[in-house]
Amino acid sequence: MFILADVQRAVTDNIQRLMNSGAQYCDGRWYQDDSNEQFVILDGNLEANDTTVESGLGVRVLYGGAWGFAATSRLGNIDICFDKAMANAVSASKLVKVRLDMGQMPGHRGEYTSPYTVDPIDVPLKEKIDFLKGVDDSLKEDWILRRMVRVQIQRMIIHFWSSEGTYTKRTLVNTFAHMTAMALDTDRQMQRRTKTLFCNSSGTRGWEMLVDPDLWSGYSGKVKDELKQILSAPELEYGKRSVILLPGQGHLQVHETIGHPLELDRILGYELSFAGGSFVNLDSFGKLKYGSEKLNVSSYGSIINSPGSFGFDDEGTPERDYLLIDRGILVNCLTSRAMISEANQRAGRDVFNESGGASRSTAFYRAPIDRMTNVNILPGEDGTLEDIIKGTEDGIVVDNPTSWSIGSNREHFHFGCEIAWEVKKGEITRVLRNPSYQGHTVEFYNNLTAVGDKSTWVVEQVENCGKGEPNQVMELGHGVPVVKFDDVITGERG
Amino acid sequence: MLSEKMKNAVTGARDSAADRGISASIHLHQENSHLMRIGNNSVSLNTSEELTRLDIEVISGKKKGTHTHLGEIDSAEKVFELVLKVAEKAENSSEMDYQPVLADITEDIDLSSQYDPSLESLDPSVKEQVYTGIIKSCGEKYNFSGSWSSGSTETFLATTASRKTARRILTDQQFTCVLKHPEKLWELADWQTGWKAEDVTAENTIREFKKLLPVYENTGGFKVEPGHYKVVFGPEAIGDLLPMAVWTGCAGRTWEMKMGWTADNQIGDTILHEKVTVLDDPTDPNVFSDPVSDSGAPTRVIPMIENGKLAAMLYDRNTASKYGKEATANAGCLTMKTGKGPEDFLEAVKELDRVLYIPAIHYMNLPNMSKGIFTGSSRFSAVIVEKGKIVSPIFSSRITDQFQTVFGKILAISSRAVSSNRSHTYGRRDPSAVSIPSWILVDDVKITDCADSF
Repeated sequence: MFILADVQRAVTDNIQRLMNSGAQYCDGRWYQDDSNEQFVILDGNLEANDTTVESGLGVRVLYGGAWGFAATSRLGNIDICFDKAMANAVSASKLVKVRLDMGQMPGHRGEYTSPYTVDPIDVPLKEKIDFLKGVDDSLKEDWILRRMVRVQIQRMIIHFWSSEGTYTKRTLVNTFAHMTAMALDTDRQMQRRTKTLFCNSSGTRGWEMLVDPDLWSGYSGKVKDELKQILSAPELEYGKRSVILLPGQGHLQVHETIGHPLELDRILGYELSFAGGSFVNLDSFGKLKYGSEKLNVSSYGSIINSPGSFGFDDEGTPERDYLLIDRGILVNCLTSRAMISEANQRAGRDVFNESGGASRSTAFYRAPIDRMTNVNILPGEDGTLEDIIKGTEDGIVVDNPTSWSIGSNREHFHFGCEIAWEVKKGEITRVLRNPSYQGHTVEFYNNLTAVGDKSTWVVEQVENCGKGEPNQVMELGHGVPVVKFDDVITGERG
Repeated sequence: MLSEKMKNAVTGARDSAADRGISASIHLHQENSHLMRIGNNSVSLNTSEELTRLDIEVISGKKKGTHTHLGEIDSAEKVFELVLKVAEKAENSSEMDYQPVLADITEDIDLSSQYDPSLESLDPSVKEQVYTGIIKSCGEKYNFSGSWSSGSTETFLATTASRKTARRILTDQQFTCVLKHPEKLWELADWQTGWKAEDVTAENTIREFKKLLPVYENTGGFKVEPGHYKVVFGPEAIGDLLPMAVWTGCAGRTWEMKMGWTADNQIGDTILHEKVTVLDDPTDPNVFSDPVSDSGAPTRVIPMIENGKLAAMLYDRNTASKYGKEATANAGCLTMKTGKGPEDFLEAVKELDRVLYIPAIHYMNLPNMSKGIFTGSSRFSAVIVEKGKIVSPIFSSRITDQFQTVFGKILAISSRAVSSNRSHTYGRRDPSAVSIPSWILVDDVKITDCADSF
C-alpha cells in the first residue's frame, strides 16, 4: 500500500532530478483511485455488472523542445518511470522542427471536488441494481422488442505535481445514464428511441442526480410513446428544408463541428494521422465568420455540474470561462500551454494570450492533449421551441443521433437521427422515420436563423469522446438551446 | 514476460476459488507499449506504458459480476481477495433469464509464434530514423505526421471450469505516415503493420508516396458530383468496411436481436456477390492469431460467407446459452478471400473510362443497420483513374451506400492478400488485423456529397 506522502516525495524528488539533468519542464500525475462502475440491463438481464479500479503514475518531461511520456501501474517502479520518460524525451528531441515550450506559469496549489451529495460508487450494489431494474421495468411493453438501460459512474482522485511547484488535487465524480427502447417498424427495420441523463447548470452530480426523475428516469413514458409513433411513420423524403435541432441532437452537432475543429492541437496539425485536421487556421481568429450573428459559443461556461467541469486541467491550469465564437465571429479555441506557445511562435504574433485550461488526459497512462471542456451555444432570443416552430414554413425537428460521420477537416458532416417531426406552415404535422441531414460546416452555421431562449437550454453529457493516439475516451458536456438552420439537405439521395 | 510468480498468483487464486465452490475466471493482461507520434515534421509524443491488468468474472447461479484491476498485483492472496469481492458482487446481482457460462479451457495452450523480442524492445531512435528517412527522401517542404505503435501483449487465462490454462504472447506494430502539402492541403498516407521488427521500413512508405506525388503536384483537385460511380476500394477502406459488414451481418447476437442487415436471412441464403468468401481464420498469416475462443475452446477456421452465401453465424458463449445454440470457436480473425484480378488495380481498370480509387474511408458510421447503410468520406490518396491512368486527386467525397452494394456489385477482386491493422488502443493493447484483397472494384457506388477542398 502506497500512501500520499511516499508518492509525493518520490515524484517531487524525481522531478527535481530530471530538471537538474536538463529538462525544461516535468510533471507527474498520480491517480490514487480511478474507479469506474458500469451496468447494462438488456431485455431485463443484467449483462454488465462491472467495476474497474485503476491506479498508477504518468510522467511527462519536456526536453530539447520535445515531449517524453511514461506510465506505470507499479509504484515500485517510480524512478524507472521517470527515467523512461526522460529517455523518450531525449530521443524525441532528435527530430524537432518547432521546439515546444510551456511558457511561464507561477506555481500554485489548488483543490477541486465535483459537486455531489451521494458518492455513486459508495451506494450499495443492490440499491443501484434495484433502481435500474425499476427503470427497465418502466420500459416494458408487449410490442417493444429490445430494452436497454446503461449506466456508468466514475470517481477519480488525482494528484498533480509540476516542476514549477504546482500541486493540485482533484476528486471528480461523474454519473451517466441512457435508456433505449427498440421495436421493428412496418418494414421490419429496427427503430429506437433514447433518453440520456442530462444536467442543469446548478445541481449536483452524484447518485442523487441519477435518481431525479426530472433528469432521466421519469422519461420512459415519453420514450415509448415516441417510439410507437416512429414505427408506422413514413420515411423522410430527400430535399432541402429547415432543420430544428433539439438539444439531444444539437449537442452532437456542436461537439463534432465546433468543438473538435477548435482544438488547437488539431488546428496545428498534430492529429492529422488519425482524427484529422481542421478547416480553421491561425489566420481565422477574429476574421472567420463561422456562423450567423445569432451564434455565440463558450468554453466551460461556468457550468458547475457538468463532466466537462474539473477545476484544473492536467497541467494544473485552472478552468477558464471564455467565448469561442462571438456573434458569429471566431475569436478563440480550446488550448493548452505548449500549443499556444507554438501557435504564437508560428503566427509571429500573440494569437492567444493564455491557456484555455483544456489539456486533459483520460487516465494516468495517457499523455494530456487538447480536449473539450464544456462547449456551449449560448441561449438566444428567439423564444421557445413552439415559437421557433411557428416561424418555420417547411422543416423538420430532429432529436438524438443514430449515426455521425464528419469530414477529416470537419468541413462537412452527415448525421442520422432517431426521430423527426415534420413542420409545415408553422405547425407539427406528423412524425417521420429514418431522418438524416448533411451539410458543410461554415455554410450550415451561417444559415442559423433561430436560437431558443434559456427555457430550451439543456446541458447534455458526453462520456465517450474519442481522440488521440494512443486513443483516449473523455467525458465532457455541452450546454445547448433549440437551434434552427435553413436550407439544409435532409434525407438520403436515391 | 509474465513471471512464474504472476502465473502462480493466478492459478493459486483459481484453486482457492474452486476450493470454496466459486465459479471464477481470472485473466491476466500485461502490455509493454511504445508509441511515437509525429506532427509537423517533429516527434510530438514519445510514450511508453507498462501496465498489468487483471480481469475477474464470477458466476453465481444465474447471476454474475466482473471486475478489472489495474495496479499492483503480487500474490495469489491479493488476487483471491479480488475474487472474493467479485463473488460478493455476483451474489448481490440480479438473476438472468439464461445461464451465464464460464470459459472452459479444453486444452493447455501456450502460443508465442508471433512474438519477436526485438520488436518488443525496439529502440525509439529506430522509429525516429525511419520517419527522418521518409521526410528527407520525399522532401522537407511537405508536412509529415504519423504514429507508430509497437509492443507486446501477454495474456494468461485460468478458470475454475478446468485445470487447464491458456497463455499467449505476441508482438505487434502499427505504422502510419501522412504527407500533407502545406498550401494545397492534399494528403497522402501510407500504413504498415506486422509482428516482426523488420515488417516496417522507410522504403515501403517512400515508394508509395513517390507513386502519387507527381499527379498530386501537377493536377488540381476534382470535385466529384453526386451520383453513381465505379469505385476501387483500397486496403484501408476494405479493412473498415468488411468488419462492419460482418459484425452487423454474421454475429449471432445481432441476428438473434434482429438488429442487422441479415435479420430476415437464413443460413444458405445468398446475401452478397458470389465472388465474396469470408472466413474467421486464425491460421491466416496476415492476422494476429488468437488460439483460444471466448468459450475456452481452441479456435478453428469458420467460413461465414461462402461464395456470397451466408454460411455461419458466430456465437459467443453467453449468446449461445441465451438462444440455445452452440458456441462457435471463433477467433475474430477475419479473412476475405482474394480473387483473380491483377495485383495492381490500375491494370484491372485499364479498359474503363472513369473510376474513383478510394484507398481509405474516413469516419465511417451506420445510419441504418437494418438496411446495411453506411456513410463515410474519402480522404488520403483518393484519385480519379481513366483508362488505367491516374489523372487527378479528388476532394473529400462522401459515400453513403449499403454493404450489399460494396460486396454485392463486385466486378473484380485483387489476387494479392494484404494485412490491414484494426487494433485500437482505447483502454488496453489489443492487436487485431484482417486479411483482405489489396483492392476490390465495385459497380454503382453512390457518392452523395463532395467538399470544395481536400
